[in-house]
Amino acid sequence: MTQEPNFEPKILGFLCRWCSYAGADLAGTSRKKYPANIRIIKIPCSGRIDPLLIIRALRNGFDGVLVSGCHPGDCHYQTGNYRARRRIAITKKFLEYMGIEPERLQASWVSASEGGKFAEVVAEITADLKKLGPNRLFNDK
Amino acid sequence: MTSKIEQKLRSVARELLEQGKVGTIVGYEAGSLKFTNTPLITKDKEAADRLVINPFIINNLSVFLKDIGGKVGVVAKGCDIRSIVSLIQDKQLARENVVIIGVPCAGIIDLDKIEKLMGKDRDELDDIVRENDKVIVTVQRSKKEYPAKDVLIDSCLACDQPKIKEYDILLDEEATVVCDDEASRSLIKKLEAMPPAQRWEFWKSQFERCIRCYACRQVCPACYCKRCFVEETEPAWISPLPKWQDNLIFQVTRMMHVAGRCTDCGACERACPVGIPLHSLSKKMAEIVQELFEYQAGTDKDALPLMAAYESKEAEDLIR
Ligand code: SF4
Ligand code: SF4
Ligand code: FES
Repeated sequence: MTQEPNFEPKILGFLCRWCSYAGADLAGTSRKKYPANIRIIKIPCSGRIDPLLIIRALRNGFDGVLVSGCHPGDCHYQTGNYRARRRIAITKKFLEYMGIEPERLQASWVSASEGGKFAEVVAEITADLKKLGPNRLFNDK
Repeated sequence: MTSKIEQKLRSVARELLEQGKVGTIVGYEAGSLKFTNTPLITKDKEAADRLVINPFIINNLSVFLKDIGGKVGVVAKGCDIRSIVSLIQDKQLARENVVIIGVPCAGIIDLDKIEKLMGKDRDELDDIVRENDKVIVTVQRSKKEYPAKDVLIDSCLACDQPKIKEYDILLDEEATVVCDDEASRSLIKKLEAMPPAQRWEFWKSQFERCIRCYACRQVCPACYCKRCFVEETEPAWISPLPKWQDNLIFQVTRMMHVAGRCTDCGACERACPVGIPLHSLSKKMAEIVQELFEYQAGTDKDALPLMAAYESKEAEDLIR
């Protein structure tokens, strides 16, 4: 990947409405600073995530995807995040085998009270993706 | 000449139909091309006499079971049985509605490999027989011998479950397969050694050839959705046009959707008209699933499916 001096990665975040979405809200209301690189989609539970949503975001030009849900044991539907975890783990490994850097798919557990952690996660993955460079994988015709 | 095992199969199938234990028999009959077979799906007990068993019974017949309905007797090799078990785990099939006629299998012979080694079309060959770890090809009375592992299909080389566990009738004693996992994953190994960008280029070049015929999906027993995401129109998840990007997304998503249900039977790779090495995707997926969750598709009909099960602590190193 060629380095671009002012490259700002575009990140798509799928956030569980009960925890990480509220955590992102809290980050805002408590005036935590985090990079504006993330665009957020609210999902009913991290268990909603389908590998298709992830790979489609990459296909449509996002440089990275973040899936974030309630901590293990805290899912409002009991097991949604456990199932999401299996799917995410498999997707990450399989995309790597296809040649998509595993850093492009990120996952985190962020509760509604962890505004600070949300800000940190976004800052970290933005930095990771800056290093990695733009996702041009699907670009050429 | 009818072999002993074929005689047994024919009488078993006839009896099952006569006694009304099954409404339909699914098996193999001789195909129109030399050495090849074609699926036989019949309710007619007389047709039982057309059933064959030979080292070329390549199709995974479990793909038909869901659509037939009623009680079905199915001729199944070890790997096909794993597909059936996986369907039972997914509640797509009730155990009591299938009579599994197990065929001990020593590996299926890959006619393409034979043709390549012999430099001859299958029509020009007189006979191909399997003898223990050798395969003997006869052409105009001269015999040529090959080590079985050079001419078996790739997914057979990766077979690690030759012992048939789930069956109602077993046609013969256990067979010994000749496995060579290294050979079966040689392309995977090559790809794993490449930097990601080069791997991506490789897969890109493969999916540039895909014509989106969906044959891979149609033959796959694990692809049983009534409506596949590729046919959704609102939203249209991927473009229906065969652009390499969408071809790749289709296959990658398909592989991820069948993770834990795919038994690496190899049917998709064999069905692909443009020769995309799909076994190197399905086998890799099986390896990932095994490595992360110690799960093997279709080996325990009472186990929860991979994606329905979980442990409270697993794969945590992949999550922040
Ligand atoms: S994806 Fe291919 S190898 Fe796996 S079960 Fe389906 S047809 Fe068989
Ligand atoms: S069988 Fe081959 S060409 Fe047809 S859709 Fe599948 S990968 Fe593409
Ligand atoms: S409700 Fe938040 S992950 Fe399930």
